[in-house]
Amino acid sequence: MSRRKHSVLAGMKDIAPILVGVVPFGLVAGSAVVRAGFALPEVVGMSLIVCAGASQIVATTLFIDGAPILVVLGTALIVNARMFIYSASIAPVLSEASARLRPLLGHMLVDQNYVATMTQGRLRLDVSIVPYYVGAWLALAGVWQVSNVAGAVLGPLVPAAWGLDFSVPLVFLALLTPSLKGRTAVSVALVSGVAAAVLVPLLPMQTGLVAAIAAGMAYGAWRDRRTGEEPA
Amino acid sequence: MSPRASFWLIILVLAAGTWAMRSIPIMLHGHVPNPPWLERLLKHVPVAALTALVVPGALYLKTDGILAFAPARAVAATVALFVALRTKNVLATLFVGMAVLWLGQWGLAAL
Repeated sequence: MSRRKHSVLAGMKDIAPILVGVVPFGLVAGSAVVRAGFALPEVVGMSLIVCAGASQIVATTLFIDGAPILVVLGTALIVNARMFIYSASIAPVLSEASARLRPLLGHMLVDQNYVATMTQGRLRLDVSIVPYYVGAWLALAGVWQVSNVAGAVLGPLVPAAWGLDFSVPLVFLALLTPSLKGRTAVSVALVSGVAAAVLVPLLPMQTGLVAAIAAGMAYGAWRDRRTGEEPA
Repeated sequence: MSPRASFWLIILVLAAGTWAMRSIPIMLHGHVPNPPWLERLLKHVPVAALTALVVPGALYLKTDGILAFAPARAVAATVALFVALRTKNVLATLFVGMAVLWLGQWGLAAL
């Protein structure tokens, strides 16, 4: 098997456990579009070209509530602002990609693919990282599409009391723990975690999420500077 | 504008804006300077972002647009944290966390 093919398959395999958490998220996103009064073209169009779950749910919910278009767009874009930080963070890892390929790689950047690439793929010596990243996205996008469509069809049948949305933080929690190595990582997590617990309910439009990420980054950078640790 | 046209406008503008935010740093890499302070900040993004994504969903439940503390979720997330630290296994963490949540909801409802 060529190295490229091996890398694509490795990306798909590494992201597989994460996909279990994507399914309920997609069901919610797809069923929201139907609740807004639309059908499969809108469900498929949105999940395919926006391809960013939280912002899809936020935009659709605000639309259902009758918010003005500018408010819907402003809010949903702020929800996605963290992806700008992800992009700056993953850019050196994907730097072997050609200028033509990079705009496409940007579209593939979502929480799950970022996490798989940064916490697993980047550390593997047996894969080329760009095909790994593309492979992980292909698996992710396939499951995302199917679960959005399934949500549109079955969504109204799944009771909210099941709490399936809880699987999203659980999967991220499982992905976080292997990265909690060393005092700096643990203290960055504490700062972001406390900031998120306090700021997310207080600040409007998911800005608390971005503020909590920024707080953790700033604390980590300040700590590294003080202890004289070099950037990795 | 019809609701359908409005919704498609939202989809298209949201897609374009999101694409720009997630692509521009990847596209510019190597063409703009990358100062050490920026690298020092970006190094902590994975841990900071994952934690900030986990904590609100682990503590709160959104009902009718309002976040409220959800004790069953907090307990389930704490148990799941220990399972994750111990097993380093995504599926084990997911199944134990969901099971504890359901038990907790059922227990709280029975009180």
